[in-house]
Formats: sequence, C-alpha cells, structure tokens
Amino acid sequence: MDIVLGIQVEDSVIIATSKAFTRGISVLKTTDDKTRVLNDHNLMAFTGESGDTVQFAELMQANIQLHGMREQVDLRPKAIASFVRGQLAKSLRSRKPFQVNVLLAGFDETTNLPNLSMIDYLGTRVDLPYAAHGYAAFYTMSLLDHHYRSNMSVDDGLRILKMCSKELSTRMPIDFKGLYVKVVDANGIREVDFE
Amino acid sequence: MAGLSFENYQRNQFLAAKGHGVPKATSTGTTIVGCKFKGGVVIAADTRATSGPIVADKNCEKLHRLSPKIWCAGAGTAADTEMVTALISSNLELHSMSTSRAPRVVTALTMLKQHLFKYQGHIGAYLIVAGVDPTGSHLFSVQAHGSTDIGFYQSLGSGSLAAMAVLESNWHEDLDKEGAMKLCSDAIQAGIWNDLGSGSNVDLCVMEVGKDAVLYRNHLTPNVREQKASSYKFARGTTAILKEDIFKLIDVEEETIHSEAMEVDA
Amino acid sequence: MVGKDCVAIASDLRLGSQSLGVSNNFEKVFNFGHVFLGLTGLASDVTTLSETFRFKTNMYKMREDRLIEPETFANLVSSTLYEKRFGPYFVGPIVAGINSKTEKPFICGFDLIGCIDFAKDFIVAGTASDQLYGMCESVYEPNLEPEDLFETISQALLNAADRDALSGWGAVVYVITKDKIVKRYLKSRQD
Repeated sequence: MDIVLGIQVEDSVIIATSKAFTRGISVLKTTDDKTRVLNDHNLMAFTGESGDTVQFAELMQANIQLHGMREQVDLRPKAIASFVRGQLAKSLRSRKPFQVNVLLAGFDETTNLPNLSMIDYLGTRVDLPYAAHGYAAFYTMSLLDHHYRSNMSVDDGLRILKMCSKELSTRMPIDFKGLYVKVVDANGIREVDFE
Repeated sequence: MAGLSFENYQRNQFLAAKGHGVPKATSTGTTIVGCKFKGGVVIAADTRATSGPIVADKNCEKLHRLSPKIWCAGAGTAADTEMVTALISSNLELHSMSTSRAPRVVTALTMLKQHLFKYQGHIGAYLIVAGVDPTGSHLFSVQAHGSTDIGFYQSLGSGSLAAMAVLESNWHEDLDKEGAMKLCSDAIQAGIWNDLGSGSNVDLCVMEVGKDAVLYRNHLTPNVREQKASSYKFARGTTAILKEDIFKLIDVEEETIHSEAMEVDA
Repeated sequence: MVGKDCVAIASDLRLGSQSLGVSNNFEKVFNFGHVFLGLTGLASDVTTLSETFRFKTNMYKMREDRLIEPETFANLVSSTLYEKRFGPYFVGPIVAGINSKTEKPFICGFDLIGCIDFAKDFIVAGTASDQLYGMCESVYEPNLEPEDLFETISQALLNAADRDALSGWGAVVYVITKDKIVKRYLKSRQD
C-alpha cells in the first residue's frame, strides 16, 4: 500500500513517495526513501515486493552509472525508460520475476524537456503527464484529471500534490507517515520541503 | 525452425496464476476425410476455423501440400497443423533431393509421427496423409501423440463421427474416381451440416497414379452469403476527426557516381 | 479492412489495468515501411513484439536493400510467434498493407501462436473482437473508395468499442493507398 506519485510540469517532474515502510500490520520505519538517483537528471521511484524493490532499483542504478562512466555520456530519460522496461520484461520470463513497479522522472538536457515514464512489473511502459502506482491511483487520478494543466509551474504542481496528499491521508486505511517530495529539472534532482 | 523456445512458459504460468486470462488459439474444429479408389486416393476438408464459439475464418485452407503428389488434411490446433506440415514438407524435399527419388507417403508419415511423438501430443496436429508414389497410392492418418492408422477410408476432427457414418454406409471396394470424390464430399457435408465445429465449403484433392495431383479448392460452396438487402455505406463526414496527418510515399533513387580512381595519400 | 486499391487499419487508444484507465494515448498500430501491424493483448508483449519486429525488419532492409512486403511480413510474424509455441506472447496481431510491386491490398490476422487467417474483407482482434465481428459483418461491403472505407472502418470500431467496457478512450485510423497514408485521430466517447 505504498504511495508513489509523479507529476510532470512545464520544465520539471515532481515525484512523491510515502515515508512509511510497512511489513504486515507493522510500520517498521517512518523515514523510508523509495527513490534512487540514477544519474544527474534521472530519478527512479519504486513500489512492490519488499526486497525486490531496492535490489532492482540499485541494479538499474549501477548499470546506468556504469554506462555513464564507460561511454562518458549519461543515458537520457527515454533511453533509461527503454532499458528499465526491457529489464523488467526480461525478468518476467525468469524463474523468479522482480515484482517492482516504477516511475522514472527525468530531464532531457538535449531537448530541454522533462519526462515521466510509468513502468509496471509486467514491462508495460507509458509516458504520462501524471502517474501513480497501486491504490494511490484510485484516490488521486480524479484530482489530477481535474486540476492538471500541462503548462503548470512547479509551485502549481506542488499545490495539486498537496490536495492529493490530503485526500490520501483522509481516505487511506493506514497512516503512510507523510511524503518525500523531489523535483527533477534542468538543475538536477533536489528534495523540497513538503508538509 | 531451430527448435521451439520455451522462454515465456514459466512467465505465462505465473501470469495465469495472477488471474490474467489466457488467450485461445484457433483450432480447426473440423471435418476431414480421405478415401481410396482403384488407381488413386481422394482427401477432402471443410473450410471453417473456429476460436471457441466464434467462426474465425469462413474459408480457410485445411489441405496442405507435403510434396507435389502427397497431400494432407489437418485437424486440431490450426497453427500446429500448418507449421508441422510446412516443416515436414521442407524436410521431405531435402530428403528427396539427397536420395534422388520421388518422396514416398510412408516417409512423410514416418517423419510426421516421429516428430509428433517427440512432442508427446503437445503439438495438436491430427492429420490425414494421402498421396501417390512409385509404390502406388496410399492413405494414412496420424494422431497428435504419434500413433498412425491405415485404411481404405479415414475421417478425423470434430465432424469425424458424422463423416464416418457416411463413409461406413456408402463405401465399397470398387469405387472409381468420381465415386470417391462424391463419397468424400458427401462425408464432408455430413460434417458441415451436422457438426457445429465444421462449416462453409468443401475442399478436395485427387491424387491418381501416374498423374499430377489436382486440388479442387471450394469444390462445393453450399453456403454462399446472400446479397445484403441494403447498403450500410455511411455518408462521408459521418465520423468526427480530431487530427489528420498525411504521409506521402515517395521513391528515393540512389545513384552511385564512379570517379576515375580513388585518391590515396602517397 | 480492404477497399478498392486501399486498406485501412484502426485501433482504440486505451491502456488500462483491469478497470483503471492508465493512458488514452497508447498506440497499438505500428508501421515498418509501408506495412502496418496492429497489436492487441498484454501491453508488455505489445511493446516487446513491436521492438522485435522493428529490429527484424531493419535487419531485413539491410540484407535485402528493400523494404519488407506485407505477405513476407505476415510470414515473419507467424514464425516469430510460433517459435514461442509453448510459452506464447499474449497478443492478437493483424497486418495490413499494399504490396508495392503488385499494388494488391493485403490483410491478415493471427492467433497468439501464429496461425495466419487470410481474409479478403476484414480482420478483427482484441477484447471487443466479438462486437467487431458483428459490426464488420453487417457494415462492410467490398470495393469501397478510401474515403468511404474510412467511414466504414471508423463506425465499425467506434460502435464496437462502445459495447466493450475495456475498449475506447480515443481511436486512430490509418487509410493506406499505394502512394499515400492518411492517419486520423477520431473523436470518441471518453467513458
């Protein structure tokens, strides 16, 4: 029941992930960061089977960083999305597939465009203006459908995110202990204060 | 075909367990028959392909050529009959080239049964194999598990019971070519009319000793669609369009210009 | 669908996971030169196969120094799917195009393990295939001009999708003639 949300605005992508790390009926940690930095302008947020998630995210992180070091060129958002999807589709055909769903937030320095890709454990990839995995989607999509505009600023985006966060805390059956919010733009990846 | 890949097998079991529906393959819920006559052999089939209760193809071809004078009719999983037939046909051609002899029906039969037995029935091909070769005319049938039958007449597929009823009551030893053709098409029609898995038209193939095989595609067409009573042509502009892109296909011609000699640094 | 010296191929644009609509911009029709491929089914396999065929047709183009023709491509699809006979891709592909040599329209469909269904008139696939069979069987007529074929295929698709909860959310239609391809996005219901 983790929350992973992404909103693409005019010149950046906002990613929000829940802080709670839950197992069964217990919350084991309230400062869990469900994201990994892939390179200077790409961030991956993930949910799914615990264990698989971090293993997979760090595997992708290592491979993408290796590429950057070998080729002296960082992979661009679309290339990362294609690579991660390929890995999940391949994993699905193995003895024990990774059960990981991810959001990829990136900023393409060549085209100067932000990019948000949603990929599930089956290897289904879509590039969307806003996206959410799991139950969070049911609560937030209607808000985003209504308020989203493609030419919004980061602050506008954060305002909608606030509404989503409020809706989630009132409707979700368990406390997700708040959200970590990160922004990916031309300057790289930064965390923003949100509460 | 360099062997079949089982790569997705486990994934699909996993997907099925997760509650995703498994799509259905087309099967030729079929009537196919074959019958010998003095000096040759005839095989025939209906032309309906189904996927569950839906008619997927109203006029498919179930008669496959293994070699110019050996033909076979297929029932069961459509893709399997198609692919196993193409594979054996190609191996038969290579075999006949390396032996410099016309391929024999028993050879085709043996290759088919050994291939099907290897796959333990998972390749769902049920075939009637017939043809003429230097040793005469032959009629066999093969089951998906690899067992084979010999007989003067054969029927296979979901309509085989209806067809066999006709064959059993009307077959006799001194049948001529026309009689065999009539008997086969009658047997197929029994399937077309009485079996839900079979329908549409009758395809037929006659193989006579010393002659080329003749395929009668749509030998009988007892289910021609009636002319529609009125046209449902929509007025142009009925459908609302949001956006239109037009791509023109152009020919690109490349011309290589040869110069006298390539310049090379000294 | 086949018309007079033309073919058309159309699909909806929805991507969903069960009841939740995820995208209204998921294209399921791909082109490899002048050959068009529609892929329905598991979205992951749709992407994987479209990438596989892009790779295979590009290799073909380099080896043969020409584009692949529809008939050849149909056999490529068939053998690619049958290679996975005992662990198939969950897809329902259709192929449409006009042979650039003979200028003959060509369409065909496949089951998930590559059995080709050659048809003279129309081919359908996907979650609304039952509805599409009904629409096409009644609305289709042979030898339609490109503009009329567009209306016929669009109405068949739109009305079939309206009777399927999982289909819709936009539609796209390609009308293919020997020297021109027209791609149109249709106005459709959004429920």
